[in-house]
Amino acid sequence: MASYDQVIIGGGLSGLAAGIRLARFGYKVLILEKHAIAGGLNSYYYRQGRLLETGLHAMTNYAPPVSKSAPLNRLFRQLKLSRKKFLTHQQLRSTIYFPDGHALSFSNDLELLRGEVARLFPGSINRFNSLVELIDRYDPFVNRPWRSAKDRLHELLDNERLLNMLLWPLMMYGNCNEHDMDFDQFVIMFQAVFLEGFFRPAGNIKDFLDLLLGHYRALGGEIRFRAPVKHFAIVDKQVNTVVLESGEEIAAGQVISTVGYPATLQFMASESGPAETAGYRGRMSFIEIINILPSEYRKKIRSDETIIFYNLDEPFDYCCPDEAVNVNCGVICFPDNFHDLAPGAEFQLRVTHPANYQVWKSYAPEEYATMKKLWADRSAGKVGEIIGNYREKVLYQDVFTPTTIEKFTGKANGAIYGSPIKLKEGTTPLANLFVAGTDQGYLGIVGAMLSGVTMVNKHIFKEN
Amino acid sequence: MTRDEIKDVILEIIQDIDEDGEVENLNADEPLRDQLDLDSMDFLDIVMELRKRYQLQIPEGDYPELASLASCVNYLEPRLKDV
Ligand SMILES: Cc1cc2nc3c(=O)[nH]c(=O)nc-3n(C[C@H](O)[C@H](O)[C@H](O)COP(=O)(O)OP(=O)(O)OC[C@H]3O[C@@H](n4cnc5c(N)ncnc54)[C@H](O)[C@@H]3O)c2cc1C
Repeated sequence: MASYDQVIIGGGLSGLAAGIRLARFGYKVLILEKHAIAGGLNSYYYRQGRLLETGLHAMTNYAPPVSKSAPLNRLFRQLKLSRKKFLTHQQLRSTIYFPDGHALSFSNDLELLRGEVARLFPGSINRFNSLVELIDRYDPFVNRPWRSAKDRLHELLDNERLLNMLLWPLMMYGNCNEHDMDFDQFVIMFQAVFLEGFFRPAGNIKDFLDLLLGHYRALGGEIRFRAPVKHFAIVDKQVNTVVLESGEEIAAGQVISTVGYPATLQFMASESGPAETAGYRGRMSFIEIINILPSEYRKKIRSDETIIFYNLDEPFDYCCPDEAVNVNCGVICFPDNFHDLAPGAEFQLRVTHPANYQVWKSYAPEEYATMKKLWADRSAGKVGEIIGNYREKVLYQDVFTPTTIEKFTGKANGAIYGSPIKLKEGTTPLANLFVAGTDQGYLGIVGAMLSGVTMVNKHIFKEN
Repeated sequence: MTRDEIKDVILEIIQDIDEDGEVENLNADEPLRDQLDLDSMDFLDIVMELRKRYQLQIPEGDYPELASLASCVNYLEPRLKDV
């Protein structure tokens, strides 16, 4: 039987980062990935000769290479990757768009947002400045119990509209809870988005994944694709072997699971019955519509920003919609709109809306295809009201739904941000099993990678 | 290993962790952390690198012994004398 110091389940960003960290210090490590390629939620596929990215709108936590203590640069040092050779493109400018013409723009320079708040909410600017100071000094990584960000922001800002406008992008890019958000998670996301900011790596997500994979392999790490894990053989409250769908068994000293806690509980369940996963199944899922448009159409629509986070619902509520999709709110992303990107013959417009997994799951195959078309059309109608009509100009369109996400990443209910309960410590009932990635608690691309690194440092390096 | 050799190893490890860390002018008695702008995650890498190279296990309680270059050498000298 093959035997490893550590087996990592999942070759997404958290699994790759954990693997690099272990391989770097000479551990014998194996990543098991269900799919034929790496990346998980942040991966890519080909349609009509085009490479389409599944996750990346923007990476958060921008920092120039000189800021040594910034999370992005610490991450690169931990992975022994050169930050200087990693080329980035910063966002142009993004906007939070609410009813009554309320709009706040922000960029990677906090002063833009500060000026916008002063302009739109003159009575609240002092309170906003105090909030920024508080967040600047605040360490969100101390393990505190869940606290309502809304309640805290009511106290701090005393302005319902402003607090909702600030919450909206942070929720869309990193909140597993409906209606409200953990205050610590709010701070993590505020730092990542408003204080640090958005960027894209040069090239595409495949280049980034290839960089990580190449580095991992060069350090001696092994990865197996098309190797879905089925369950664990457990002896004395420890994972003894990891059993694949194929029946093959692999012995592991320690196991790190990045597939989410519901799926991890299934691996731990005895033959006799399914695991109790209800409390860990998140409800926030999304639909994503990728539109390819001809370059000359750029000037015909509002397309000079990087991302528009819009909400037209009153009252504002971040939640799973009752219908298949809520097109009244969403994210409009222009992945070509980052500094110093050469314009191509086409440009992309990606739109994300909250979506209901149960509704999508209930459709029969033909109905599913029809509903994808229908909702993409409704989306274009609504988004067109904000940026101008583009519906007839779409050269190519692809749609993925909560069920696509569940199918390709194993995330229960297609819940991108995973369980509403986070396992911040990363420990499980089994002494040698740890969780990293989405259900440990750090979200997004940089977050997932930091989670992989942190869990290895904490549970493997410091213990051994 | 001699004290000088141990010192060189530590400097080499630091250089390896931090692509633009300036190790030439380090004051041996001052905390490395203050001079190099490194954090606890980086310090763990020194421990891990020593483990990888010399199979040396440094318990977490001993990490403070690695605070300055001089204290590193003092701590490692008996532990690396046969290397
Ligand atoms: C549409 C969309 C847009 C996004 N946009 C952004 C963005 O702009 N910026 C940002 O920072 N983040 C974004 N994200 C979020 C980001 O992609 C995730 O937070 C991050 O990639 C999560 O990484 P992970 O390693 O925790 O999980 P995953 O990526 O889910 O990795 C888990 C891996 O485990 C594998 N797996 C599952 N089951 C098994 C099994 N039984 N055996 C073996 N392997 C298995 C899966 O195939 C997968 O590769 C977006 C996500 C989506 C879906």
